Amino acid sequence: MKWRNLIMGLVAFGYAFLYIPVMLLVIYSFNESRLVTVWGGFSFKWYGEVLKNESLLNAAWLSLRIATVNATFAVALGTLAAYSLNRYRRFRGRGGFELLLAAPLVMPDVIIGLSLLLLFVSLEQLIGWPPGRGFTTISIAHITFSLAYAAVVIRGRIGQLDPLLEEAAMDLGAKPFTVFLRITLPLLAPALISAWLLAFTLSLDDLVIASFVSGPGSTTLPMWIYSSVRLGVKPEVNALATLMLLFVVIIVLFSGRIFNRKR
Amino acid sequence: MIRQLRQGFSKIYRGWGRRLGIGLPYIWLIIFFLLPFLIVLKISLSEPVLSQPPYSALTTFSDSMLQIKLNLSNYLLVSEDELYLDALMNSLKVALVSTLLCLLLGYPMAYTIATVQQRWRHILLMMIILPFWTSFLIRVYAWIGILKPQGILNNLLLSLGIIDEPLTILHTQLAVYIGIVYSYLPFMVLPLYANLAKLNQNLLEAAADLGARPVTSFLRITLPLSLPGIIAGSMLVFIPAVGEFVIPDLLGGPDSLMVGKLMWTEFFSNKDWPLASALALTILIILVVPFIAMQRLHQRYEDRDS
Amino acid sequence: MLKIEGKPLEAWQDPSARPYVQLQRVTRQYGDLYAVDNVSLDIYQGEFFSLLGSSGCGKSTLLRLLAGLEMPSSGRILIDGVDVTDVPPYLRPVNMMFQSYALFPHMSVENNIAFGLKQEKLPALEREQRIDQMLNLLHIESLRKRRPDQLSGGQKQRVALARSLAKLPKLLLLDEPLGALDKRLRENTQFELVNLQEKLGITFVTVTHDQEEAMTMSSRIAVMHEGQIRQVDTPSGIYEFPNSRFVAGFVGSINLFEGRVMQRIDDEVLIEGAEGEHYRMRSYQPLAIGLPVAVAVRPEKVRLSTDLADAPNRIRGKVQDIAYLGDVSIFHLLSASGHKIQMTLTNTRPITEQSLNWGEEVVIEWDADAGVVLTE
Repeated sequence: MKWRNLIMGLVAFGYAFLYIPVMLLVIYSFNESRLVTVWGGFSFKWYGEVLKNESLLNAAWLSLRIATVNATFAVALGTLAAYSLNRYRRFRGRGGFELLLAAPLVMPDVIIGLSLLLLFVSLEQLIGWPPGRGFTTISIAHITFSLAYAAVVIRGRIGQLDPLLEEAAMDLGAKPFTVFLRITLPLLAPALISAWLLAFTLSLDDLVIASFVSGPGSTTLPMWIYSSVRLGVKPEVNALATLMLLFVVIIVLFSGRIFNRKR
Repeated sequence: MIRQLRQGFSKIYRGWGRRLGIGLPYIWLIIFFLLPFLIVLKISLSEPVLSQPPYSALTTFSDSMLQIKLNLSNYLLVSEDELYLDALMNSLKVALVSTLLCLLLGYPMAYTIATVQQRWRHILLMMIILPFWTSFLIRVYAWIGILKPQGILNNLLLSLGIIDEPLTILHTQLAVYIGIVYSYLPFMVLPLYANLAKLNQNLLEAAADLGARPVTSFLRITLPLSLPGIIAGSMLVFIPAVGEFVIPDLLGGPDSLMVGKLMWTEFFSNKDWPLASALALTILIILVVPFIAMQRLHQRYEDRDS
Repeated sequence: MLKIEGKPLEAWQDPSARPYVQLQRVTRQYGDLYAVDNVSLDIYQGEFFSLLGSSGCGKSTLLRLLAGLEMPSSGRILIDGVDVTDVPPYLRPVNMMFQSYALFPHMSVENNIAFGLKQEKLPALEREQRIDQMLNLLHIESLRKRRPDQLSGGQKQRVALARSLAKLPKLLLLDEPLGALDKRLRENTQFELVNLQEKLGITFVTVTHDQEEAMTMSSRIAVMHEGQIRQVDTPSGIYEFPNSRFVAGFVGSINLFEGRVMQRIDDEVLIEGAEGEHYRMRSYQPLAIGLPVAVAVRPEKVRLSTDLADAPNRIRGKVQDIAYLGDVSIFHLLSASGHKIQMTLTNTRPITEQSLNWGEEVVIEWDADAGVVLTE
């Protein structure tokens, strides 16, 4: 019984530890006072400030565009990677492929960021592409690590897929491409949606890599947040954070609905 | 004749599908993930210069002589200067301690999720996954407001009369530990849960039937069987934590210099690209061993499952 | 096998009949493993043909080779006279019912059945008619709009069957069609499957590891072992006239007595066992004197003898074990010569009146035509 209580205590502490900071953040975003930690009454004031801040809105727009492009490419490449690793059991360089696909999951951001920047600089010197740094370079950098996450999510699902279903479709006269389109893809849909959303949020969240590979004039939302919180807590950032949380919660609930209906 | 053509076509088609499926992501990763490291290696062997880009060329061609100049001073600096050595050692220490703390907190959580009723399991699991979807930067930022001298925690403790003057937590090593454990806890819980959920309850019943008390069953059955999960979770926390930048930058102070932050400073503030590259490769080499170990383990685990 | 007077020839007995499916020296290799090893086999139109064997004997691989889901390492496969060896599964005039049914989980029953029809671009009207016809045929009209996860095992089986029949294939392959059903449902479905096959006139090739199932349903059975076909015959042919010790032991129970051929007397041979005991069996094969052979006798063909005198096919033994199965009892006897013998007796009277008891000395015998002489 004592053990049980200890374990339950630790679990409760763990969940509180995960959730209390974010909850406090949300609560204080409605604080009238500029002194962020002293309650000065309920207000939507800081939300107004967020919507008026043009540099912030520009940063948010850039981030959303990059996140969309990133998620789409990452899911496409991740699906190919996951599918071929699952279907083609043996091919030359499989071990290297697995390694390259797993490394971005744990590689520290600073290293990915630095190495990609150096690549882009060298490429520009050599072949003149990419011209300068900004939207394109950030997108490429994000696709590179998001693709690894997308592949993990999709591989999990492909692993559960019954290969007999594809064979049955072929037996009923469906050509390989039709099988992929009519059987494999619809059955993978939930995983593809999850992977897309994950890649989207990873991109929306990245500060370090974007800081390395962005150029003048291309400030992403995390870069904007970082430069404003380095010097301490700002009530506008609390409001912005709450809006971003709301956005995520809506997406998660929405995708949850889709999955439930699919099932 | 037509049939033969069609067969031939379908073989080619199949071959192309295969080549495309493997090739496209593979080539992408080689160009944008592997190749950059070679460039990092090249630049780490060059000298910083005041130009755009700020490093010297390794090869010069003059008087019909191809000269290759390798500059090892960056690595000498990293291995000899105390600043860099301290930062490296401190990073490893912080990552190790944070990993152990994550394990200590994450194991009971994963165990509970794996053993509670189905109905609760989904909710508890969802609550572990949810933070993945929220901004990491914002979650770290939330701690500033809590930990700072006039922050929420100090205000609470002062008003309860537990302390008389504010504690200094923000910008210390302690804040870095809190930040890392907080941010990386889900990475520990998820692989542990995946492993513990697969544990056959019959094994524990068999152990009990053979006279083992719950604590013995746990130590002799559950714990050894969950070792792959423990190792996977630990690597997922340890490896990225070594190179962490945001947390030591926002929450840490002068006593908590970490190598990721040092690299950032060398790069952005001192514009010393070669030195930053040398640091990056040093971190990489330190992390290669645990990474390969993790891959090998994962591979063996998958082979056993299939 | 003997021809029975007055009965028309079955297709496989008629040398002029053209086989519908022909396997010619087909081999499928995985590395060093021969899953299917040099198999040649003819299957005729309208047959209900069963591949019988324990798991891993290559029977499923053989079925998948017919479907085109596996390609042979060597050999040819002909269907209706056309070489289909290199034809991919989606171009073969063959459909398959998969072991776990493989119903598409994201489609309704109706769309599962429609899937194959859409692939052959059947006009919508005809397609609807065909779906109705299939739902009707298998009595599953009420399941039309359901999804696979809302079906019971038996319902899934019917939908899978409907889906594989929808394209009206000339050849239907069934991989353990009843394997996932419980015993009672299985027995009912066996007869339904046979009726359906007769009604539609489709050639069925099934894979099963269940002897009883194969015996009940098949026109012919191929017994497979380690990638090779050991015997092809009708159910009664396999049971009564096994061609080898392996087949005799694999299908049903068997008593085997090893010995050597001593003498031929008309259409019977005299065989001497290792302990000097004698057997006298009917055999039409040419058997050389001194050839080592086995006498194979089924337990139900053994009876208690009232004559105690020594004679061929007569053995003295002691009851070691009795297994009461309700309708029959199986007696395990140990003979003086050290043979373990099984004898099955029908319980024509209530068990309480059973005369044979454990430990009792008995004399058993069988007729010369009650078993076969095996050389392999």
